Amino acid sequence: MHPQLPLSFGLKDSATFATFVSGPNAEALASLTRLTGSAWEPHVYLWGTSGTGKSHLLQAICHAAGERDTTSVYLPLASLEQFPCTVLDGLENLAIVCIDDVECIAQREDWELALRNLFERIQETRSSLIIAGNAPSSELGLALPQLESRLAGCLLLSLKPLPETERTQALRLRATHRGLNLSGDVERYLLRHFGEPLGNLFEALDILDTASLAAQRKLTVPFVRDTLKAAGFGESG
Amino acid sequence: MEHSLWKPCLDRLKQELSEQHLNTWIRPLHALEEGDTLRLLAPNQFVLDWVKEHYLDNIRDTLGHLFPDRGVKVHLDIGSSRQPASKKDPGFELVAVTRTMTVENETQSSNLNPDFTFENFVEGKSNQLAKAACIQVANNPGKAYNPLFIYGGTGLGKTHLMHAIGNLLCDRTARVVYQHSEHFVADMVKALQHNAINDFKKYYRSLDALLIDDIQFFAGKERSQEEFFYTFNTLLEGHQQVILTCDRIPKEVPGLEERLKSRFGWGLTVAIEPPELETRVAILMNKAQQANIHLPDEVGFFIAKRIRSNVRELEGALRRVHANSQFTGKSITLTFAKEALSDLLITQDKLINIENIQKTVADYYRIRVSDLTSISRLRALSRPRQMAMALAKALTNFSLPEIGEAFGGRDHTTVLHACRKINELRESDERLREDYVNLLTTLSN
Repeated sequence: MHPQLPLSFGLKDSATFATFVSGPNAEALASLTRLTGSAWEPHVYLWGTSGTGKSHLLQAICHAAGERDTTSVYLPLASLEQFPCTVLDGLENLAIVCIDDVECIAQREDWELALRNLFERIQETRSSLIIAGNAPSSELGLALPQLESRLAGCLLLSLKPLPETERTQALRLRATHRGLNLSGDVERYLLRHFGEPLGNLFEALDILDTASLAAQRKLTVPFVRDTLKAAGFGESG
Repeated sequence: MEHSLWKPCLDRLKQELSEQHLNTWIRPLHALEEGDTLRLLAPNQFVLDWVKEHYLDNIRDTLGHLFPDRGVKVHLDIGSSRQPASKKDPGFELVAVTRTMTVENETQSSNLNPDFTFENFVEGKSNQLAKAACIQVANNPGKAYNPLFIYGGTGLGKTHLMHAIGNLLCDRTARVVYQHSEHFVADMVKALQHNAINDFKKYYRSLDALLIDDIQFFAGKERSQEEFFYTFNTLLEGHQQVILTCDRIPKEVPGLEERLKSRFGWGLTVAIEPPELETRVAILMNKAQQANIHLPDEVGFFIAKRIRSNVRELEGALRRVHANSQFTGKSITLTFAKEALSDLLITQDKLINIENIQKTVADYYRIRVSDLTSISRLRALSRPRQMAMALAKALTNFSLPEIGEAFGGRDHTTVLHACRKINELRESDERLREDYVNLLTTLSN
């Protein structure tokens, strides 16, 4: 029998403030939530290692802005850096500009300069620029000191990895959102083998979601193991 | 503005598109509606092209499906909208709907930031000469020093001073334009593309004062340098003021034509150095006061002592402490500030340690690190050693005995003597003073 092809809805997790498991990052969450409300902060730098929730929070900001009929944009530089840096032109006219993966443009002088200039324009239009990266500004390896010092002048919010209990909570939340029911065994297996970084775990969940729909199978440890192995998904621990 | 067309369409798109695509390409669009016409404004050409190629058909289909009887027309354009300052009114005030996105009015065409004034520029030993020169120029434009060339590291206040001159001149109805060098280049390229180079020349040459920031970005751009050279000459001949900033002195800018290097030095060249402790404290207290933050003196002193590189980092630290205090509801005390800044300070400490200082000083004087820890008393080695000790005392929190230990097990009195000697020589020996500033800048950045 041919496996049933799942419909491609293109639906991903809803990255909102409500679905963010904050754990030790409650302050960052509160500061960013305030930002989409009445408080104005021109420049924010959000840093944390991979899987700490930077992209989630930036997208949650855009989501919250949308709810308030405010214009915003989310630019993941990891997938945009091959494009010309003119993608940053005119963004100061949006109320909130979120830029992810700033480390990707380190040593790209055209991009670094374009971002430095956006800093200035954002200040003039009283918009907000929220930048996320995987290291403190001084460790990004930027070519332009003018950009590095501007990042250092931002409101700095750092994200820490979630402890065990919150990781389980985050996994459950994502699974529930997909309508997946994870047994305790599967939860433990996933967290043990794919839990680091957390982003990997959620990607694994996407693969399992599709596979279980196609195979019309329940998620058991052997099924999870075989599916992820077949998908070439590397174990982290 | 009521979005009777766009809102339902957006709700439908939310069901179909991934959150990321929605946030990257759809949310930045600003909708304007008039009857059965929907105008979507993209912030720039790139977003416009992308939306046109990937989403426009989808948007049209969705609208056709939602409003089958209305024959909704969709136009994509580049433009901008801005919220009214109060942020209370949920509607948007349309500022411009043009392809160039330029809004022509007096404040914007001068590009001056009215927040930068002489009054709110905190003066200290490191910048007083530059400030005095700027005030002179603002009071006697085109006469006192022309061009005025301000140089120094990033985040030390060059741009602030430049805007302060511009604002004062503007108050006296002079025609002033502030431009980052990269914008000058971009403007020129645009003018060449649109066959408008004569208008470009006329515009820049008609100003009473031209302020160009960060001229090191002219490096290697020969055509722009040539154009700037002629503009510069015309302005100087007409006794119009030119003010330039750069991260170094003209002759050290690589990729800059010799004739420009020499002409930039015709007027007055002034340096802004990294602020010393007292100025850093004053800057912090001033910023805190402006932002209505209650910052006790000892906290200001603590932050200023630990963060030394530039004014922006000081501001970053202040923002961090303030945000933390708002979040926790606690007032700002010394213990609180230490806690709030702990991760920031760890990063700082990682960058500046005795080992790093020894290596930087050894590289600077072209000697070996082992020479700094050796027992040799040769002047060629002992002076750099004293310099490294003095910098270690100034930049780290190690005690005198700890520093002595790191320099070949020397006594703490030797370190104390070194610090005093270097301080004394900084006053009397111009060359050594320059070495100290150079090393400080290298280590702090």
